[in-house]
Amino acid sequence: MTAVIETRGLTKTYGAVRALDGLDLSIPRGGVYGVLGPNGAGKSTLFRILLGLIRATQGEARVMGGSVNEISHMRRMGSMIETPRFPPYMTARQVLRWLALEHGIGGSADIPHWLARVGLSEAADRKVRGFSVGMMQRLGVAAALMSRPELVILDEPTSGMDPPGIQEMRALIRSLATDDGVTVVLASHQLLEVQRVCDRVAILNKGRLVREGSVSELTAVGERLRLAAGPVERVLEALGAKGSRDGDAVLADVSRAEGPALIRALVEQGVDIHEARWVGADLESIFFSETGAVQAPETIHAV
Amino acid sequence: MLFDALAAETHRLLRNRLTVFWSVVFVPLMFAVGGVIYHLVNKAQGDAAAAAAGLPTTGAGSPLNLAEFLTFGANQTANGALMTFMLIAAATVYAGDYRWETWRLISARNTRTALILGKVGTMKLMAVAASVAMLVAAFVYYLAQALVFERPPTFSLGAAEAGDAALIWLLSFVRMVQYGLVALLTAVVTRSLLAALFVPWALGFGQSILGAPPVMMLLKLHPDGWPAQLLMPGLAYDTLKSLVSPGAARVMSTEAALWPALASLALWCVVPLGLALLLFRRQDLSKE
Repeated sequence: MTAVIETRGLTKTYGAVRALDGLDLSIPRGGVYGVLGPNGAGKSTLFRILLGLIRATQGEARVMGGSVNEISHMRRMGSMIETPRFPPYMTARQVLRWLALEHGIGGSADIPHWLARVGLSEAADRKVRGFSVGMMQRLGVAAALMSRPELVILDEPTSGMDPPGIQEMRALIRSLATDDGVTVVLASHQLLEVQRVCDRVAILNKGRLVREGSVSELTAVGERLRLAAGPVERVLEALGAKGSRDGDAVLADVSRAEGPALIRALVEQGVDIHEARWVGADLESIFFSETGAVQAPETIHAV
Repeated sequence: MLFDALAAETHRLLRNRLTVFWSVVFVPLMFAVGGVIYHLVNKAQGDAAAAAAGLPTTGAGSPLNLAEFLTFGANQTANGALMTFMLIAAATVYAGDYRWETWRLISARNTRTALILGKVGTMKLMAVAASVAMLVAAFVYYLAQALVFERPPTFSLGAAEAGDAALIWLLSFVRMVQYGLVALLTAVVTRSLLAALFVPWALGFGQSILGAPPVMMLLKLHPDGWPAQLLMPGLAYDTLKSLVSPGAARVMSTEAALWPALASLALWCVVPLGLALLLFRRQDLSKE
């Protein structure tokens, strides 16, 4: 699996604060990659270094095999960092035209296509001063995609969007990865959204990588068999220490190999099983356990 | 990449109609309207005085060479009012991206040097547009004079007059660009639109105080000397303009001031641009 982004010992300090602390990260090409972390974890700092907006204090960051400061690589990337702000006197169409010119694709940018793809066709000729935060986000995403990049970096792409907007954005991000072959790297605080849209995630805390892996791998850890069965007391009695109540159901702490035998045994004991399914730990619980487990890094004291 | 930056910057500025109006159109428009009113009032006063004296109030005047508008307009191109209003465009172009955080969107795909030079190029185009507008206003001024005073218009332009007008226009253009480059350096240092607007204006105002003869005498600065010329690009511009102006205006400065004045204008262009580029290349563009 080739890496589209690689960092080695990446460190960024702002005065006494270490925003990134020796970050080693390898993001594979293809799919949707989520970068998670609480406020101050270093997500935005990482993205800004990757986009060449700021320079790392120490360490190395490579994008598509090249240094982050090489323009040739930047030309294959699109990005949206936080809620973008645009000149308020321009329409959405004019904003995209301006950015297309700025990016050197004035002649080839299919602006109506990208406006349609982010759901802004009807607002194309409205001045952006009247746009909501969600509309600004959509326009920012269109701006990031317009140059048909191989890699897109999106910081909080669904921030400020209403539920239908979030759903549309999720579908767009998935289709970029599956239909267009674009590698999408995103940061979000909405953990459920990340779990639904991402293939792999990295969890950062205080500038360090604390967990990395595919969503299915991460959520498979702590996987349990959820049994909607009755009577519940008989199921709990049969499971002993391996069982716990989950509303009207029971969670059985058994491996996948043990599952069929457990179900057979329960049926033989006269238990009625209405539903049995494997449930994993959700990303939210992993996130809180991982970010809560890490010691706060030492700050550098100015001398 | 420089062409991309220039095309994009021009596209954006042209959509900002309010800025274009105030910085390019407003002063020439006022100049033209004011000129017409001035001629009408003069004519009315003249007619009233003639009527009071019992003299005839109408009659064809001497012919008026409309080609003189070129030198007149070129002289007006870098006037204080136009330069002050041009600062609106300069501040918007140079500092606007800090205000709207658009550096984040545009800086990843182009070199920082090209982005800054694209902005400088756009400001040069704006300066050309403003100076053309000023020439149009000067033409209106002359045409109104011919019509109001019933002077038969002629058009006679020799090579020498055309050359003088072109030189004065070029100097005025350089002066406008130089003034804008101070706004560029201010914008990069302060990231503030208001500072980019007021710092060059304050510097210009300071020069007008410093350049006043009593102050110059007090400070023992000779207007044609190196210190005075290097300190005051406005004085350097006036010196060079007087050296190339036809007629009486030419004697205002001595030829000893030529090199100090040329060096001053060149330095006041190169130093702000160089410093702005140097600082901008190292700047953290991730926040305002």
